[in-house]
Order: sequence, then structure tokens, then C-alpha cells
Amino acid sequence: MNNWEYAESIESEKIVKIEKKYGHFINGEFVSPNSKKYLDTISPSSEEVLSSISIGNEKDVDFAVNAAKEGLKQWSKTSPSERSKYLFKLARLIQERSREFAVLESLDGGKPIKESRDFDLPQVAQNFFYYAGWADKIDLAWGSEISKPYGVVGQIIPWNFPLLMLSWKVAPALATGNTVVLKPAETTPLTALLFAELCDEVGLPKGVFNLITGDGTTGSELVNHKDIKKIAFTGSTSVGKYIQKSLAGRDVGLTLELGGKAANIVYNDAALDEAVEGVVNGIFFNQGHVCCAGSRLLVQEDIHDIFISKLEKRMQTLRVGNPLDKNTDIGAINSKDQLDKITNLVNEGVSDGGELFQIECELPKNGFWFKPSLFTGVQANYKIATEEIFGPVLTTLTFRTPDEAVEIANNTEYGLSAGIWTEKGSKILWTADRLDAGVIWANTFNKFDPASPFGGYKESGFGREGGRHGLLSYIKASS
Amino acid sequence: MTEVKKTYKHYVDGKFVRSESGKVYAIDLKNEKYEIPLTSKKDLRDAVTSSKAGFTKWNSLTMYNKSQILYRLSEMIEGNKESYIILLQDHGLRKNEAKNDIENSINTIIWYAGLVDKWEQLTGNLNPVAGEYFNISHQEPIGVTFTLNSNSISLDDLVKSFLPALTVGCSVINFSEKNAVIALKLSEDINNSDFPAGSLNIIAGKFENIVEDVGGHVEIKHAAIYDDISKESKTIIGEKGSESVKRISFQPPTSGLSSILPFIETKTVWHPKGK
Repeated sequence: MNNWEYAESIESEKIVKIEKKYGHFINGEFVSPNSKKYLDTISPSSEEVLSSISIGNEKDVDFAVNAAKEGLKQWSKTSPSERSKYLFKLARLIQERSREFAVLESLDGGKPIKESRDFDLPQVAQNFFYYAGWADKIDLAWGSEISKPYGVVGQIIPWNFPLLMLSWKVAPALATGNTVVLKPAETTPLTALLFAELCDEVGLPKGVFNLITGDGTTGSELVNHKDIKKIAFTGSTSVGKYIQKSLAGRDVGLTLELGGKAANIVYNDAALDEAVEGVVNGIFFNQGHVCCAGSRLLVQEDIHDIFISKLEKRMQTLRVGNPLDKNTDIGAINSKDQLDKITNLVNEGVSDGGELFQIECELPKNGFWFKPSLFTGVQANYKIATEEIFGPVLTTLTFRTPDEAVEIANNTEYGLSAGIWTEKGSKILWTADRLDAGVIWANTFNKFDPASPFGGYKESGFGREGGRHGLLSYIKASS
Repeated sequence: MTEVKKTYKHYVDGKFVRSESGKVYAIDLKNEKYEIPLTSKKDLRDAVTSSKAGFTKWNSLTMYNKSQILYRLSEMIEGNKESYIILLQDHGLRKNEAKNDIENSINTIIWYAGLVDKWEQLTGNLNPVAGEYFNISHQEPIGVTFTLNSNSISLDDLVKSFLPALTVGCSVINFSEKNAVIALKLSEDINNSDFPAGSLNIIAGKFENIVEDVGGHVEIKHAAIYDDISKESKTIIGEKGSESVKRISFQPPTSGLSSILPFIETKTVWHPKGK
């Protein structure tokens, strides 16, 4: 036999120590919830219970917001350069313990260790480094007229990049002089709880960073708390709309980073093999649990067949399985609910008439899994072509001319990201100018950097995270 | 009883029009009495249709061209300065107050005219990402913008409620209530300043009649409320606006770089570097 046997390479779980039960982190210490209610957080790759986390109720949220109000007194007296140093120290600690964080992230969320280790954690540390340096330069960023913090900021983050989203929210908020009450997603709270320990370790003043765990009801209490001055939310468009509605008539700042249905446009003069890699990365990165995923492949009609055959061949090499195996490309679907949602949408795509290709692979018995999938023969009005699936499912549409590509790409309520593949520079710039999207990747996809602003047009939300523009989400014009 | 001096018309799509409803409301000044068309829901929809086309036209002009059109507006006001001063006096301002206000408005317009071809150099930048990528953030106008002006007796305040959005390339529907005579007089000079039809529409009426539609109309991409409106109205705009994740600003800044920030979207483009 010529083929080498597959040898798995499992990252050890031993490095992480998970408590049986966690309280909220309020005013610099872990406290039991007033609600006395807990919920289990499980590993989506094994369905094993990892820990129990507190469900925050109205009183818990009130306690946390009051702690953040008190913390603000201390934090606003802390000089900008001192604030900066706290963030630098946090970045260092994250780097030092990044392996532990990475394993925990993969256990709790199901993403492959190679992504949590090589993407999430390096980005998290870099993000704290980046915003640390802004803390004492806020006046330079947008002029001194725009420089005042909001005060107490409520932040609600999703389950797809738990610690990375925490860093996108917490680092700029603290750098600009706000204090924070953060609520992580109910299925992925563990890395945020570990981060709270680091805040204690660097001696961050009490009440500057508060963490309250729970479900949607907890988030809702946070949004509706009377002393919150700003809400920053990343998640689905429907929840974003609910939050915007809840805040109507109140003087509360809001930034929303919501869903997407990004077009990844492949012109016939693209470098096809590179484009295949980019398209695969665009949709299968993090199991497709990515708001900016390139979930609509727009391929020029005359290269459709060759491109699809290359794509299917490449997809077949993707390795689906244990997130802690260093060879794994596609990990577990984050939850049973999400798996059901993906399954239903894919079934609907098939019954609508879409042609489904799924790779041949064995899926583990326990846990939540979905085979990398590709739809062709799709009409623009199919649900799989319009709704965010948030899973490893790519939908193909075709176009004939650049104008048509732009029209199809923009024919959605979303406007988060888009991809362009062509070797012709002028066509990149022409297309990029016309796409309604906050982030455009040309001849690449799913690239992120703390220095690069991220956020959407239209119903993908408003406000930016990252870069100099990300500061604007946490400072306002002084009158 | 004073006679009606003039029945002003709205300025929509480059034309002077009455309300489709035929309804008017009265504004009584010290010496003169005016009748103003009362915006209906249909009038608002028509203005939005015009503004949508106006946005495409206005935004496709070069920055240099837009800059000259705004400067042209300042020249028009300069030429008609005396008539504005008389009108503001009729609204109760003293002569020197009126004169100062008109001069301020001219200065404001010239300031924004000079910003049109520069703001993007202040709001955009190359991003120093850690890798071999060209990465740039630049800005685009959000699109059709509804502005409720501050309703103060001031031409300067009035122009400050549409210039920030216009400067970055948005089209604007400017809405007046108490100060409608000033706004509709201004529309005559707007009409003589080479604005593309629909890029700047001036309408008037009772804001409460259309507040729900301002929030709910999905083609209004941004509602900027410069007036101090009731909490109830804010709630209505916010709730209706949330259905389409509408951008909404209440009393946004009226000077400096911060005045234009509500009206722009940041677009970031990546490209690898290589041999």
C-alpha cells in the first residue's frame, strides 16, 4: 500500500483547568449569581458538559452596571498612559497563556485548534497591543473635538470567535476610557471567564471590566439597563434590530456588527487555483460560522464548469473532525440549534431545486457536524442564495458581465464584505467602488488585522471595529 | 388683517411644487404672512424618489465640481444678502443680528465648499496591517439623507443642517417647520446654483405628520434630526428605523470634521502584495 496511514496529532487538553461552576466577574471578583440559576456549557465536538455558568438576571446586571459606574470614577482618574500600560500587560499575558486559551476555545466552541492557535489567539493579543498604544493618543486620532468616552458600555458578543470578539470590544473601549460590562455568548463563555482572571492578575482597577454570563434574557437586561451609555453588539441582524428598537428614544450610543451574505466574485481572468483557495477559505474558515464569510460564489459563466470541478476537488481534501487534532480543517458546528438551522436551510435548497455536492468523509459519532457543501444550479431567489446560513455551505450563482456581477452582489439587505478575483487591477478598483460592503478582499479573503477597520453597510450594521476608525465606536464629539 | 404675501412652494427635483394634498399652513411674521405647502406622506415619498436619483447624480460629480456648486450657492446668497436680512428682520431679528447671521451662513457654506475635495484625506487612511497587504480605508456617502433642521430663525443654522451630508456626497431632503419661509426662500438660490435635480430637496410642514414615515421609509438611509424633538418622536423614528437598521442621528455636530462623520461609511479594501 502506497498511501500513508493517517496519523492524528491531538493537542492535549491537560493544559486547561476548567472549574465545575462559574460565577459572574463583577467589581474585580467572581460572585455567585443572584438568580441562583446556571446553565451547562458543552463541548460541541463531544457533547460532554464542560462546566456550568451563571445566568445573569436583572439584579445581576444591575450589580455589574453599578460596579462599572464605580469603576469609571477610578478609570477616568487613571492617566491615559497608565490605561495604555494595563492593556499592554493584558496583551503580554494573553501571549504567555495563548496555548491554554486556544485549547479552551476549541473545546468550548468546536473550532479547529490550528485556527484558534494560529489565528484567534495571535489576533487577540495583537488587538490589545494595538489599542494599548492608542490610549494616550486619542486626541491625535480624530482631533480633540472627538475624544470623550461614553462611560459605562454594555457589550454583547457572539459564539463564533469568542475571545477575538471580546478583544475587539474590550480593548478599544478601555483604551478610550470607558468601563465595560461584557456578556459572552451562552455556548462559549469559558475563554471570557479565563480572561477575567487575567484582568485580576494585571491589577486592573475594580469595576473597569465586568463579565456577566447568561443567555438572551441576560443580554436583554443589559440593553435595557438605565445607566448604560452605549451598547456594542455583534451577532445576528434580527437581534441587532431588536436591540436598536429597544434603545429607541433613549440617549444610548449603539454600534452593530450583524450578519452577511457576502459575494465572492470570480472573474474569468482570475488566477483560478488561487481563487479556489480563496473561495475555500472564504466559506469553510471556522466552519462557515463567520459573519463576513464568502457564502455566495459569483462565478463568471464561461469558467463555471472548470471552476466548480477544481473547487470540488479541493473541497474533498478538507479534513473534518476533532477540533483538537492539529490536522483538522473543519471542526464541530457550534451547537445543536445551529446544526438544525444549517440542515434545514440545506434541505430547503435541495427541495427548491439546487444541486448539492458534499464531500465524502466520515463524521464523528458524537457532537455536531456538517459536511462541507456546495450548491450549484441555484436561482437567485432560493433561500440558500439570500439567507445567512452561518455554516460550511457555499451557494453558486453565475454572471456574464462585471455590471451584472455588481448588481447580483449588491442585491441583498446585507453589506458586510465581498471578494473580487481578477488579475486586472483596474477591474478590481472599478468593482470595489461599486460594491456596497464595508470590507472588500481583492485576490484574498477573510484577512483581518487590528489595524484594519471592520464593519458593514446596510443591514449588516453600523460602526467599525479595528483601526483608527474603531475608536469612533467608543468616543463621541465633545460639546 | 394682513394679506398673504406669497405662497411659497416646495423645492423638489429641481422644480417648485405644491403639496399633492393642496394643503397649506400659515406662517405669520411681523409684517408679512405666508402660506406654506404642508408636506403629506405622499409628498415625502416623492421627495425620496427624487433624492434617490439625485444621490446618483450628485455623488457621480467630481469633488471639484461639487465644491464649485456649493461655492456658487454662497455667491448667490451674497448677491441677495439684503433681501435675506429683511426677511430675518421680519422674523424678529435686529438688523445687525440678521446681517451677522447671513454673513455667518456665507462663511459656513464657503468652509464646506472648501472641504468637499479634502475631507476624505482626513477620514481615510492606509492601515498598517501585519502582513504583505495593501490595505486602505476610504469613505463613501451613506446615501439619501433626511434632515430636520433646527427650526431656528437663522440661515446659518439652516445651511449647517444640510451641508455636512451634501459635502460627503449624500443627497438631502431638508425639512422645515417654523422657519420654512427662510428655507423656501433659500431654495430659489439653490435652484440657481447648478445642483443636479434631487440632490437637495427643500420641503416643509408639520414634522409630526411624517415622523413615522421618516423612520419607516427604507430608501431614507439616514435621518439626521438637528431640532430638539420630543422623546415620543425619537422613539417612533428609532423603532421604525430599526426595521431596516437605519442610521439615525439626534442633534449631530454642526461644525468641524465631526459634523460629516455621521454621513459616511468606511470601506476597507485589501490586496496582497507580491512579485
